[in-house]
Amino acid sequence: MSGRRTQPTDARPQDLPTKAELARLRVEYGKDARLAFLGHLDLIGTVERCVRRSGLPFSIGNGFARRMRIQFSSALPVGASSACELFDVRLTERVAEDEALERLREAAPAALAPVRCAYVDGALPALEAWLNRATWEVELVGAPFDAAELGAGISEVARRGEIVYMRGEREKCVDVSATLVGVEQVGESALRLETRSTTAGALRPRVLLDAACAAAGLGQPEAVRVRRALQRHEAEDGRLVEPFGPFGIEGRAPLS
Amino acid sequence: MRARRENLFHLIEPLLPHVEHPARYLDHEWGSVQEQKGPFHLAMVYADVYEVGQPNLAISILYNAVNAQEGMSCERCFLPWKDMASLMRERGVPLLSLEGAAPLASFDAIGFTLAHELIATNVLEALDLAGIALRSSDRDEDDPIILAGGPSAWNCEPLAPALDAVLLGDGEESIVEVCACIRDARAEGMGRKEILRRLAQVPGTYVPSLYDVVVDEGTTRWGRAVPKEGEDVPPTVLKRCVQDFAATPAVAQRIVPYMGIVQDRLSVEVLRGCARGCRFCQAGMTYRPVRERPAGQVVSCAVDGLLRSGHNEVSLTSLSTTDHSQCAQILSGMNERLAGRGVRVSIPSQRLDSFGVEMAAAVAGGKRGGLTFAPEAGSQRLRDVINKNVTEQDLENAARNAFENGWRRMKLYFMMGLPTETDEDVVGIARLSERVLEIGREVVGRGPKSGVSVSISVAVLVPKAFTPFQWQGQCRPDEVRRRQQLLLSEIRDRAIRVSYHDAGVSLVEGALSRMGRAGFELLLAAHGHGCSFDAWTSEFSLEAWEAAAADCGLDLEDVACEEFPLSAALPWDHTSPGVSKGYLQREWRRAVEGVTTPDCTRESCTGCGVCPALGVHNVIQGVRA
Ligand code: SF4
Repeated sequence: MSGRRTQPTDARPQDLPTKAELARLRVEYGKDARLAFLGHLDLIGTVERCVRRSGLPFSIGNGFARRMRIQFSSALPVGASSACELFDVRLTERVAEDEALERLREAAPAALAPVRCAYVDGALPALEAWLNRATWEVELVGAPFDAAELGAGISEVARRGEIVYMRGEREKCVDVSATLVGVEQVGESALRLETRSTTAGALRPRVLLDAACAAAGLGQPEAVRVRRALQRHEAEDGRLVEPFGPFGIEGRAPLS
Repeated sequence: MRARRENLFHLIEPLLPHVEHPARYLDHEWGSVQEQKGPFHLAMVYADVYEVGQPNLAISILYNAVNAQEGMSCERCFLPWKDMASLMRERGVPLLSLEGAAPLASFDAIGFTLAHELIATNVLEALDLAGIALRSSDRDEDDPIILAGGPSAWNCEPLAPALDAVLLGDGEESIVEVCACIRDARAEGMGRKEILRRLAQVPGTYVPSLYDVVVDEGTTRWGRAVPKEGEDVPPTVLKRCVQDFAATPAVAQRIVPYMGIVQDRLSVEVLRGCARGCRFCQAGMTYRPVRERPAGQVVSCAVDGLLRSGHNEVSLTSLSTTDHSQCAQILSGMNERLAGRGVRVSIPSQRLDSFGVEMAAAVAGGKRGGLTFAPEAGSQRLRDVINKNVTEQDLENAARNAFENGWRRMKLYFMMGLPTETDEDVVGIARLSERVLEIGREVVGRGPKSGVSVSISVAVLVPKAFTPFQWQGQCRPDEVRRRQQLLLSEIRDRAIRVSYHDAGVSLVEGALSRMGRAGFELLLAAHGHGCSFDAWTSEFSLEAWEAAAADCGLDLEDVACEEFPLSAALPWDHTSPGVSKGYLQREWRRAVEGVTTPDCTRESCTGCGVCPALGVHNVIQGVRA
């Protein structure tokens, strides 16, 4: 590629722009195939290395640890794939969006390939808290029950209002009425879930399924494939905003 | 019959949701060689989990060397953790390589890195999971040829019955020759025995099955290995050595792991070998001569490697990086080229003088963690015995310099059970630590807020093959415990913390370091008693090892602590790193007399024998300080 600069820049830290002046590049990428099994911390490390390899002029924070200024959308459960992971990285200078995308794609493993990038307003809130709505595709493999039975289980869980479950050693509680926005049956063995994360927590699809199976006395499926299909922001007035905006206009209507 | 080469990832995938750290089994990392066309296939195995094995430099070096050859492919394989291994056994899934997810038993050759003694049971576990006979003599004509090499190959006898061939010394050239030899011999339709005979003709290759073990009055109870009647093999196999080290790639790692690994950084091997001559140190004797890379190569390869890999830390690795004659130049070059890029430079170990501290300061940036020094012994007398050529004054200057440079926490490494050690030397550890603490308080201040602290870590000497201490037995565990208590009772200041290595682990390490070929029975028994991942404190079980030893009529303590006569033929004498036995004997005598031997990269040759034996010489880029 012509005119490609060595990264990030030869300037000394004190000569670099302040954070407010830095361009904020938002990147959407997938997490596919076997990389679904990559944990969140490993994913973060991997994406940072992709950014470094891309040669984009990323910015480094002022702390002792001299970390890259980069923020990620919320952690996916290990084993879940995604069509819509996001990160925001601060650049010391603007590189054209299509060039940035090309460089990132060249530097990323195919299963984490970036699909879209654009500059966004530096004043937007951090991704993780801002993206409070998610759409999930859940596929059940070898389930010893039918869709109607599972539907009954989910209704029962929703009626109870909360799920108490163990995560490792710790007991967790999630408020279903606040976090489950909708459920849609897609054929015999697949579901589409719409969830909302609140300050009190988020509902993981697998937790809902396990609770539903338990509530309806159903056996476990052989495998459950979970994919995050969409992430969006739900404004206080209920308006849905897509990750790349438009930031002031109505989003699509929520499911159910 | 050789297992069929096929991709079996679909058998592993359904197990991933049920195991810890599934990222261990994913492969497809950036920089991994996905196209594995062969037709000759080698699997390099580090018999521990991914995050421990992946950072191993030897694996990277050999992986690149073989994959660079036309017609040869090399894949990696690590040992699955216990949860995965039991699922695999339950479902009849054999051990697979990473890149091609092919059964290990389908490869033409399999190479094990013997990074340390405690990996031995894991080598057996890997073979067992792969469905390959543990004994070389039980393998079928078509089975893969099992190779090994690495630091622990310097006494490979306890594992020898499992190994078809052992590569001694630098492996980057010999692995290719060995693979070519196997490939050609197979193409000629040779039988297994003939292939092994031909392998023994490749310089630096030891083929255990072509040697008999003879026990007589001139040997220890373990005997010595001699060429079998009628076999045309060298009585002593000399190691390989790459003289033109600068012609090898400075950065061996191409693979960028997804998961956090033990040393999660780029490594640049800045030099190979160390001639300081510490008498307990096996690496110091077996990696000679010293070969430095030019500063320019180190800096440009490091910068280039960082850009290519995306790592944010680079480590300048070697046995003694601060001994590089251009160390200061390398560090200033790195700092200049990497400024503002959020990259950390690290040096694995510090030299024990002010220069070492200056170099540590040059890479530390604003950060001051703990600073580690290894005086190894508590008194000057004992430091002379072990040839740790540092004086009390060097130590004090280094400590003062470090505190003045902003460090507050000092970590000191010592050893116990050194030859001639007395209680006075043990007490000396306490006095030296107090002296370092006192210097810190003089420099920084005495208040509780000064934060000055010293932690000392004390290991037990494990006498290793090809060191001047190879005749010495390990200190008896009871005696070790008594000396540990003595040291604890001598340390009165709460700002000094003491930690000991697990004595049971050292005992097993000691036994494995001293045994001959008959030790294989102990390894088999230990494997049978469920020993694996012995290098993991959480998994190590002394009870299981003791039970295994009892099964074989052995006592671990007897084995580890036995002294060998200076004149005896040793179990490893048929292999040689080039350092002569006469030199080691002389060094032993000088040790006992407390006479030191200088470093041949700073003063003249001290006659260790490597250079004439191998036709090589030290390569020093500048002048060593
Ligand atoms: S032969 Fe001499 S110069 Fe060569 S490594 Fe040994 S002591 Fe050093």
